[in-house]
Amino acid sequence: MALDVEAIRREFPIFERKIHGKRLVFLDSAASSQKPRAVIAAMTRVYTHSYANVHRGLYALAEEATEAYEGARVKLARFINAPDPAEVIYVRNATEGLNLVAYSWGIEHIHAGDRIVITEMEHHANLVPWQQLALRQGAELAYVPVTNDGRLDLAALPPLLADGRTKLVACSVMSNVLGTLPPVTQVAELAHAAGALVVMDAAQAAPHQPVDVQALGPDFLAISGHKLCGPGMGILWGRGELLDAMPPFLYGGDMIRTVKRYQSKWNDLPHKFEAGTPPIAEAVGLGAAVDFLGAIGMEAIHAHEQELLAYALPRLAEVPGIHILGPGLGERGGVVSFWLEAAHPHDIAALLDEDGICIRAGHHCAQPLHERFGIPASARASFYLYNDKEDVDALVAGLHRVVKILGR
Amino acid sequence: MSSDLYREQLLDHYHNPENFGVLPDADVDVEMDNPTCGDVVHMTARLDAEGRITAVMFEGQGCVVSMASASMFTEMAVGKTPEEVAAMGLADIEAMMGGVRLSMGRVKCATLPLNALKLGLKEAGKL
Repeated sequence: MALDVEAIRREFPIFERKIHGKRLVFLDSAASSQKPRAVIAAMTRVYTHSYANVHRGLYALAEEATEAYEGARVKLARFINAPDPAEVIYVRNATEGLNLVAYSWGIEHIHAGDRIVITEMEHHANLVPWQQLALRQGAELAYVPVTNDGRLDLAALPPLLADGRTKLVACSVMSNVLGTLPPVTQVAELAHAAGALVVMDAAQAAPHQPVDVQALGPDFLAISGHKLCGPGMGILWGRGELLDAMPPFLYGGDMIRTVKRYQSKWNDLPHKFEAGTPPIAEAVGLGAAVDFLGAIGMEAIHAHEQELLAYALPRLAEVPGIHILGPGLGERGGVVSFWLEAAHPHDIAALLDEDGICIRAGHHCAQPLHERFGIPASARASFYLYNDKEDVDALVAGLHRVVKILGR
Repeated sequence: MSSDLYREQLLDHYHNPENFGVLPDADVDVEMDNPTCGDVVHMTARLDAEGRITAVMFEGQGCVVSMASASMFTEMAVGKTPEEVAAMGLADIEAMMGGVRLSMGRVKCATLPLNALKLGLKEAGKL
């Protein structure tokens, strides 16, 4: 294996516990990942040693807290190769980041008759904000379809850009259901050539592979920290000149320069978009998370998951009556969604739980995608740096047991 | 080998459901789903002159919990008045299913048939 999983697991305290007396086999990192000691310790240290509100106090403790909070922003900027840390906005999660763009940029720039293009593989977080923006502004919403083998049908994009009405293209960097890694750089090139802006949802991609905003070419990119070993917060990256020109999303303290009785002036980036007391310890924890991942190496994590995928796919295919969604190796990340002829996804998840195996069952916040494949729900196993072949073996054995119990 | 939920009694109802199908000339005809899990149940029921439920049938698809609950419920509801059905809750469903304790995630599955019939009775003006 590309990674020393034994050593990595020791960094995650949760693996010390048992589930129903069994070893914890955690295969739901696509929903939210587990947390390493480094992150827990960094947040504990803020609360036990350096906590005060940021950007306000004129005392040593407040300065320490501000330094740690802003220091994390520099780490996060480096993590995504952002040219300027001021372009990194702290948000609650990727969902809030995408909503920020929809409300702040969208309402000013999307008008009746304009078109927003998204893809059929979007998570609801990168679908509903655009759907509602289109409804509100009287714009058109169009979908780039997904092929039967779960790839993005890129040939369908240029016709949607041809008439110049498309103002925005929103696309996931990695599908949270299919695992698909669509050709987002090409999407961005095509969209930009047609004068449209590009929003990328990197919530699923960023924990598992290098994400370089300058190489991928989006105008906005959203990340969820809790999926990449960090706490419950996220970041939105945007091009400085776009963010500068946008109105604030939330109003209140810290986002202002001056407030008069009947008018206000806004603070500089990134603070213009960070109204109110921010998640201070969380930001520091997220900084610790990207330090932790960076030390292991995003390339190495990606290679490790590819290796697990190559091991898992043929073994899973041997489970009677299994249907695996998504493309083959080389075009996908470490997320495997499937359904069984013998069992409803809920029953699969409940029976695997008895073996200490955690997977997701449902529509994974991608209802239109499941509809496109004609299924109401699926089961999903997802890999991360702390998973190994033993976990895959446990999953496969568990699925054989499910088929034995529920098959007829 | 398996937990409470997947014991023989429930699996029997899942594989060989009672009263599976659509009741002709039904007084109550209702469909309800749990969009988050994809469970869907279509329930039909008939009431007698005194307003008591005389027959219930269901069709649908879903997990063991929702389908076994629907199958058992078609038997349990017979003889009850709409008010008696309206007064039923999770505890009654758990008792009906042999005293299982449902986890939070499965409550919606188990109560889907009950909630569907309540809705159907209301829509039919029986409640």
